[in-house]
Amino acid sequence: MAEIVLMRNFSNAESHTLAAYRAGSGYAAWDKARTMEPAAITEEVKKANLRGLGGAGFPTGAKWSFIPKNHTGPVYLVVNADEGEPGTFKDRYLLERDPHALIEGMLIAARAIRSAKGFVYIRGEYVQPWRRFSGAVKEAYDTGLLGQGFDVVVHRGAGAYICGEETGLLSSLEGKKGWPKIKPPFPAIKGAFGQPTIVNNVETLCCVPPIVARGAEWFAGLGTKTQGGTRMYSVSGRVKKPAVYEAPVSITLRQLIEMAGGVSGTGRLKAVVPGGGSAAILTADEIDVTMDVDGLKNVGSMIGSAGVIVMDDSVSIPEALMVLARFYAHESCGQCTPCRESTGWIYKMVHRIVEGRGHKDDLDTILDVAKRGAGTTICAFYDGAVGPYISYIEKFRGEFEALIPHA
Amino acid sequence: MPKLTVNGKEVEVPAGTNLIEAARAAGVEVPHYCYHPSLSIAGQCRLCMVDIEKTPRPTIACNTTAADGMVVNTETDRVRETRKSIMEFHLINHPLDCPVCDQAGECWLQIYYMKHGLYDPRMKDEKVHKPKAVPLGPHVILDAERCILCSRCVRFCDEITHTGELGIFERGDHSEIGLFPGRELDNKYSANVVDICPVGALTDRDFRFQVRVWYLDTAKSICPGCARGCNIEVHVNRRRPHHAEGRRVARLKPRFNAEVNKWWLCDAGRYGFGFADAADRLLAPTHKEGGSSTDVTWEQGIAAVAGALRRLRPEQIGVIASPKMANEDLFALRRLLDPRGIGQVAGQVPPRVPGDEDNFLILADKNPNSRGAELLGFGADARTVIDAAGARRLKFLWIFGHDLLAGALPERDVLEAFRVVDTVVFTGSNANWTSAHAHWVLPAATWVEREGTYTNVEGRVQRFRTAIQPLGQALAEWEIVGRVMTVLGESLSATRAEQLFRQLTEAVPAFAGLSYQLLGDAGQPLAGAAAARP
Amino acid sequence: MSRAQSAPAQTIAFSEAQVAEVRRLQSLYPDPRGALLPVLHMAQETFGHISLEVEDYVATLFELSPAHVHEVVTFYTLYFCEQPGRHIVAVCHNLSCHLAGAPKIIAHLKQKLGIEPGETTEDGRVTFLTVECLCACEAAPMAQVDDRYELNLTPEKIDRLLGELR
Repeated sequence: MAEIVLMRNFSNAESHTLAAYRAGSGYAAWDKARTMEPAAITEEVKKANLRGLGGAGFPTGAKWSFIPKNHTGPVYLVVNADEGEPGTFKDRYLLERDPHALIEGMLIAARAIRSAKGFVYIRGEYVQPWRRFSGAVKEAYDTGLLGQGFDVVVHRGAGAYICGEETGLLSSLEGKKGWPKIKPPFPAIKGAFGQPTIVNNVETLCCVPPIVARGAEWFAGLGTKTQGGTRMYSVSGRVKKPAVYEAPVSITLRQLIEMAGGVSGTGRLKAVVPGGGSAAILTADEIDVTMDVDGLKNVGSMIGSAGVIVMDDSVSIPEALMVLARFYAHESCGQCTPCRESTGWIYKMVHRIVEGRGHKDDLDTILDVAKRGAGTTICAFYDGAVGPYISYIEKFRGEFEALIPHA
Repeated sequence: MPKLTVNGKEVEVPAGTNLIEAARAAGVEVPHYCYHPSLSIAGQCRLCMVDIEKTPRPTIACNTTAADGMVVNTETDRVRETRKSIMEFHLINHPLDCPVCDQAGECWLQIYYMKHGLYDPRMKDEKVHKPKAVPLGPHVILDAERCILCSRCVRFCDEITHTGELGIFERGDHSEIGLFPGRELDNKYSANVVDICPVGALTDRDFRFQVRVWYLDTAKSICPGCARGCNIEVHVNRRRPHHAEGRRVARLKPRFNAEVNKWWLCDAGRYGFGFADAADRLLAPTHKEGGSSTDVTWEQGIAAVAGALRRLRPEQIGVIASPKMANEDLFALRRLLDPRGIGQVAGQVPPRVPGDEDNFLILADKNPNSRGAELLGFGADARTVIDAAGARRLKFLWIFGHDLLAGALPERDVLEAFRVVDTVVFTGSNANWTSAHAHWVLPAATWVEREGTYTNVEGRVQRFRTAIQPLGQALAEWEIVGRVMTVLGESLSATRAEQLFRQLTEAVPAFAGLSYQLLGDAGQPLAGAAAARP
Repeated sequence: MSRAQSAPAQTIAFSEAQVAEVRRLQSLYPDPRGALLPVLHMAQETFGHISLEVEDYVATLFELSPAHVHEVVTFYTLYFCEQPGRHIVAVCHNLSCHLAGAPKIIAHLKQKLGIEPGETTEDGRVTFLTVECLCACEAAPMAQVDDRYELNLTPEKIDRLLGELR
């Protein structure tokens, strides 16, 4: 049985309290980290092969080391708790059930990057998680864990998926619309309020205390050659037991679906979204892939936020694409032209197709427009939209054509 | 200074130069919308993509700093395809308004579409609809459907005027430029957003539906609205006189001058040309006798002035020139008055209400040539001349341009002066109280109808050029003075303003060394002004 | 948490204690503007929704132009520019919820409430919305009702839920 690291405290009903956290591993990792040099902490996280678990999969230790060494002003640690990727719900669990794990992770990360101030940006809809996490922050302040060289500001969002994009989040934190920033400069050089900033996902930071407490080698060994550790897979859709499951990142998609009780509905698998709504869809014969960053990259998809949506053969792929296309049109921030104009147009076309009013050129138009827009935008939101636009049509073209009169 | 290659051409640029400007230095124009040299980088339109060696994908040029050894290519197949794609994205929801849009002919969607576009629109769905023809303020009208959301106008109101009236509301393809509901775009530079809007989203209310831009001719000029001397272009309609209700001057646009106004023009200056085509233009010399005014010939008018100068003693003659006159006009007056020892001269009539000013372009002195007037000896307050008139020392008074009752001079004194002076001559372009009560009116051409130079507040001498022919029989002031001199047996020795200017530079030390050629399009500081500049 | 009623236009102002809270929040950020989203939440809770008067008022607290506050308010979905109903029922219609039957739940609510998504019932009781992923996909179909998530919805559950909303 694979080791449970991130969800280790979940079964305890009071797991969100400091008392319960102390009864478990407590803040032992933080005690240890306080004896370590900041660079040594970063080194440990690098050796652990920890990759970002919010979507981009960037090596966390490398990201931390981008903070300029000679910077004399403030450095900010920003936690991306703006979970919004369709099919993903792991961070919600961590905020509600183990907020102290996040606080401990923040403390250690802050020491590594020499930050005295952290902001936790929680999506506005997450009211219960916000209350739970704020309660834990208060406990941490009351007992002197926080406020002794590191302060935390909890900041609620107000409803915009794009605030889950690193620099969109920073703009929102600064009191503006969630418009992503043009890069360069990158956040580690110039981020929140113009200062060097590290933005990390909730789950990524929750990995840090175990890494420090039990060693990089142990963490790295849990996973694959290029990505260490376990992660929490959010499994939903047509499975018998939709839930969040922790597994080593070397697990295959087939094994994961089995863990979730297997395919429900007709029981016959048709397709799987492996890494949140923005990931390219996989067909039923593509599920023997390891659910790590490189495993999915090598098959033309991505692990992203590890939101797994399972589809049985009663699911209409065109309808599924319409639902996602509607999502991207609604969430496009509107800042740059290719995304702003084409997400709306592509939704109109897919919607028409689903309603039986498609034109025979529509599919090729959608594919061409998507390919032309990919890589031209300010942020990767559009590339996330392009994932489903292209993969759903290319892999299930027949199903779309069947809806188009005289296709 | 980094040295880089653009399309095979090597160029050296100052450190910190972005690739749009670096390419420009190499003679290459990179198409773009949201970039503007005076505003922060937005990186929103995505049109300025260029290929940089060793970079895997095309990159936006506006946000890339030129680096030593960079090799940039703006015309690779990949860049061309990307531009086509970006043009398509811009046109997805853009309404086909060209036939009714004022921007047609100078629209950057049209221009780039023809040069880089796809030509086969494949968007067959309903476009997003937004408010159209929404007045934003006294001068600007918005069509939100046409807007390409480049955010130039928003950044202008934030970064240049610091008034923050505009914003981009909502998100996605429902994003919309607008004002806070209930407010107005009423800062004193509001119409500049029309200039910087690449498309017909923000257009000029005064110019709306007047005349197509391809019928316009242009002349480089200087705004005479205040002592700043903002550089402008005068756009005139000569070819379609039946459009715009016969209005000859269609609009004014700012002209870039790094030393004076950069890219900007205030609204007061921009819309201050109406008097050139107004119904109250003085079109012919007139003579008032008894109660009525009759048209006379120029010969008669000139003869009246020359006659007075011949028969009167110099101390009986008063001249109130104007800081709205050109250097050439004022110098011609000097040529006429100096040999005769006529010293009762002035130029300034302070306004009743002080003019507004700000810490940007607008100056309280609403005259374009106060410095010139001062240097040419016409800086005195007109009250000295009016007092001399009232003391019955003057028998002849020549007033240029001013409406003496509209300024700060006590009304009683002005009326008294008019009552007792035998001959009052008015020279100006538009009728006013003074012209109505003068004995002789000699009509002057407006600044758009002739050329000359003004000296701005900082001592920069700048040329303004002829845009249209004078209305009626109006003549430039220097020409009128020249005709008087001829009748008196003297000669101005100048048939063109440039010749007069040459004489001026030789006679007046402050103007030494200048010439029309040297002034060029951006003007030159006076020797002293240049020395005073830090 | 019940929703505040819309305040009369003339009295848009925070109490002294609230203004002190605004200043405290502003001091938490390197640039006080960072407190804008939290203060807009505060304003919505106090005044019921964020009207133009509220935007204007908040703009003065932040020394921002009202246009820039309006930008923020119209960008985010949780700020209401018009007074919503006393309760907000926001049903997720994204992918996992769609696969789990969200369309049926939405149709049921349309029928029971007699309104379309985006509208408020005549009696001001319920504002019905369809929203994007709320990240509770394991319990699809689901909705956010006021501040809480209502999971594993069925028509019967909806009926019971609606019965509890006054």
